[in-house]
Amino acid sequence: MNQVDASSFHEIGRSVRRKEDFRLLTGKGHFADDYNMPGQAWTVMVRSPHAHARIVRIDAAKARAMPGVLAVFSGADCAADGLRPFNHNAVPSTKYDMKLTGPGGGSVFVGRHMLLPADKARYFGEAVAMVVAESREQAEDAADAVAVDYEPLRFLERTEDAVVPGAPAVWDEAPNNVLVDAFFGDHAATERAFAAADHVIGHEFHVGRIMPLPLEPRAGLAHYDAASGNYTLYFSTGGPGIVRQRRQFAAALAIDQEKLRLVALDTGGNFGTKNRPYVEHALALWAARKLGRPIKYRATRHESMLTEYQGRDLATKVELAMRKDGRFLAMRAENVMNVGAHCVSLSPLAKGAGLITGSYDIPAATLRARGIFTNTVPNNVMRSSGRPEVTFAIERLIDMAAAEFGFDRIALRRQNLIRPEQFPYTNAVGSTYDSATFEANMDLGMKIADWGGYEKRRQEAAARGRLRGLGFANYIESSTGSPRERAEITVTPTGRVEVVLGTQPSGQSHETSFAQVAADLLCVPIDNVEIILGDTEVVKEGGGSHSGRSMRHAATVLSLAAPELIEQGKALAADILGVAPADVDFAAGRFVSTRANRTFDFLELAKEAQARGGVLKVVKDNEMHTPVFPNGCAVCEVEVDPATGRVHLTRYAAVDDVGRCINPMTVDGQTHGSIAHGVGEALFEQICLDPASGRPLTESFEEYGMPSSTTLPPLTTEIVEVLSPTNPLGIKSGSEGATAGAPAAIISGLVDALKDFGIRDIAMPATPLAVWQAIENAKAGSQANNKARHGSWKWRA
Amino acid sequence: MDDFNYHEPRTLAEAAVVLHAARNGVYIAGGMSLIPALKHRRVRPSDLIDLRLIDGLAGIRREADTLVIGAMTKHADVAGLDIVRNSIPDLARLVGEMADPSVRNRATLGGSIAHADPASDYPPALLALEAIIVTDTRRIAAAEFFTGPFTTGLRKGEIITAVNFPIPDNAAYVKFANVASRYAIVGVFVARRAGKVCVAVTGAKPCVFRFGEMERALENSFTPDAIKAIVMSAQGLTADIHGTPEYRAHLIGVMAQRAVASAAAKPRPA
Repeated sequence: MNQVDASSFHEIGRSVRRKEDFRLLTGKGHFADDYNMPGQAWTVMVRSPHAHARIVRIDAAKARAMPGVLAVFSGADCAADGLRPFNHNAVPSTKYDMKLTGPGGGSVFVGRHMLLPADKARYFGEAVAMVVAESREQAEDAADAVAVDYEPLRFLERTEDAVVPGAPAVWDEAPNNVLVDAFFGDHAATERAFAAADHVIGHEFHVGRIMPLPLEPRAGLAHYDAASGNYTLYFSTGGPGIVRQRRQFAAALAIDQEKLRLVALDTGGNFGTKNRPYVEHALALWAARKLGRPIKYRATRHESMLTEYQGRDLATKVELAMRKDGRFLAMRAENVMNVGAHCVSLSPLAKGAGLITGSYDIPAATLRARGIFTNTVPNNVMRSSGRPEVTFAIERLIDMAAAEFGFDRIALRRQNLIRPEQFPYTNAVGSTYDSATFEANMDLGMKIADWGGYEKRRQEAAARGRLRGLGFANYIESSTGSPRERAEITVTPTGRVEVVLGTQPSGQSHETSFAQVAADLLCVPIDNVEIILGDTEVVKEGGGSHSGRSMRHAATVLSLAAPELIEQGKALAADILGVAPADVDFAAGRFVSTRANRTFDFLELAKEAQARGGVLKVVKDNEMHTPVFPNGCAVCEVEVDPATGRVHLTRYAAVDDVGRCINPMTVDGQTHGSIAHGVGEALFEQICLDPASGRPLTESFEEYGMPSSTTLPPLTTEIVEVLSPTNPLGIKSGSEGATAGAPAAIISGLVDALKDFGIRDIAMPATPLAVWQAIENAKAGSQANNKARHGSWKWRA
Repeated sequence: MDDFNYHEPRTLAEAAVVLHAARNGVYIAGGMSLIPALKHRRVRPSDLIDLRLIDGLAGIRREADTLVIGAMTKHADVAGLDIVRNSIPDLARLVGEMADPSVRNRATLGGSIAHADPASDYPPALLALEAIIVTDTRRIAAAEFFTGPFTTGLRKGEIITAVNFPIPDNAAYVKFANVASRYAIVGVFVARRAGKVCVAVTGAKPCVFRFGEMERALENSFTPDAIKAIVMSAQGLTADIHGTPEYRAHLIGVMAQRAVASAAAKPRPA
């Protein structure tokens, strides 16, 4: 794709202060809970107290008679009204996605996400009925009074239990609970390479399930106008954005999508969990029509922890074949994703599938990828979905191979990296990486981490009785996402450049970074550019914000739209000046002609356009399927208190190749958040169900550990800009990458600190208890610590 | 949250009258534990009786070798005021590390100990310092006050007015915090006064408790080594996702040794 000439950029590449901050910091944001209407009623859900139970009977008579109660609805009412299950587009289907299939190569049965199930509750907290009342408190009281008879069934938490013969079926349509079973790579070549290998190392890992926990739980206000038949939902969302979610909500409600308006202006965090629609929003729209009242819903924090789509939860068994000189020959992987009670997204499994060989030149590989139902919250994409899991496997495996066979772990990586001249590089499972300088990333990462000064720091820590460890990980991730994006640019006579785009930010600074791009492409002041998002009244097309797509897609479509707008400007200027359009140039932001004295910039020209009854406006669509591959590395230093098992992160350095960086400040900020996300996964976050009842034991921040400013080390980060040849500005992505490398780098450092105990691996999260137990087991000579706590997952054919 | 009647009595006597008249009345001090419990409907009182307007319940003063802290004194004051820092520095530090600044500026000593969370930090301080809990009707030794998880020796309607802390010769608190809530998985308060040593443990059992075997060993030799070999039995210790009984037993030893080392290094300020 043609590259844009960067020589005239003023705004791109600059740390422009965020245009959205004044609004947000002065309380003028429009978040989901900011909307209220006269006459609104509230809805509260009745939630299953069982992880798996048949719904025998729902008796709402008592609840209906309570003060303020307007209605109680169940799954039977939804069915009677013809409401349909959500279509989550769970199976990735763009041109470059890894093709996941059902068992035997057939289609994938994803379950049915009914708005309220009439047959069974399939996870603890699943909504089985809704109550609407005048106040939220009255609705809560009534929800407590709805009597539901359940027939509890045996529940499944872990995939290894779900595939055992005789296990209960989450869905009758998938009696063995398997929904995906797909094979990738060259089996024969891989087997040959393994047979000829000098060394083979293998291990099982489990990258645990974590909660996304945006600061803003889901909420919304639904309105129905009986006169026009129009529905409106004010809420917050993310991911595919309002254009696709409008189709999804309309389909579930069996209404024409033209009758539905979605408004989602500011979103208080997402991390992927808002990338799929929620039943409460659809039910509120439905109830708004049935009851003729605006309906408000707001999840409590407790509800958000019980029922927001979760992430990760991949078990992987990996093996690496090597020559005795350290050259990697082949890899085998078996990845199992716990999709939860029904499948809302297989993107994590598919994304990871394409990247199992990481940043390394591994000539042959095979992968078996499976997805399995359990009685847990549906598992969705979460920041860098799928990539931290496979990065963890390959990077930890390389550390293990180095320790096992006597290689230096850094030299072993250098020896096997894909070299710059090998790009574009197609890996052994078929992904084609566009560009990267992996070894230069490593050099830079080790430099900013002061790798050379580590030994002195280790000795100083040892003198204090602390065990220091040094961890390293490379990562590569893929950025794809919805292929379509539209830009509508209007230059108004009042001097504003209005840019409508179909992305859906949740803190990624689109209003600033997109304005930087538009300002440079049109040579207008950035203060005059206004980015408009989040309302289907104005946003008619666009792919939302997920998979690191937004900056790249927005900049690409803007770079295609801008020349058309400039051509319009030339034609108009020529008309005003009485010269031929060919005699007008657009130079340094002004329309000029050698044949006339007057010149115009865009803003001046827009006034002229108005005077002539016209408007400077362009609508441009773009479709772009080619993925890009952000990449980088992380160095993490840890200190362990061997007496307690507490792990302190003492230093952290990250290098991220984001392609062209539009705003370094906002990329740095997102990198910091990305690292924090990885820290939580590695050290604190875990979801535990009570084995007897299936009730989550981690349903509040008293039990669920989150990273915070006090648990993060100082972060040293560097941005690398290897321009991608796939798009006009050379953009990759800068929002998710650091999450991919973080868990591997942290556990690498922790295992390094504990290596004198003979510890090779430690399961995540490496809580103080887990680290202390590993040390105690090692001291006792037990081999138990060599197995991940979740590592007992056994491959079953 | 349910509806309730809200009262703001001006005197202790008035507060008690309102409480006894209520169907299910509850006193509220800072509310930092009670309000979340109300929101989650774990507590559903008919009447909430706010003690904040009653005179004389807040404030800190020193009476000879005793620090007297009013029941409505905020954590932020206990943590920040020199009168505490200069007499029992580790009490100030302990309180300064509880929760976060916004909570410390509302939460109170009386509310905290009346709540009697088995993992909270004040109870081991009271127990190890042999504090006296003063109420509107009597004085209660700390050892008789904490009777179980979220349970105290307070009678219905009784109001804590102050806590008397005898000033120790040496004292230190070392806590191993849960990574989620920052409450103690195990916290150990060690205090020595006139040759007597008290070791109080929080977070490890359903109720704060003293570890007599360590106390006797430390009275012989106030050094970490003196208790190195003393191992707490895991029997009866709390089990949850953050710690097994064995882990807690081990941590009691580690925290106690660290507390002794810290206390020994910090003799009573002149």
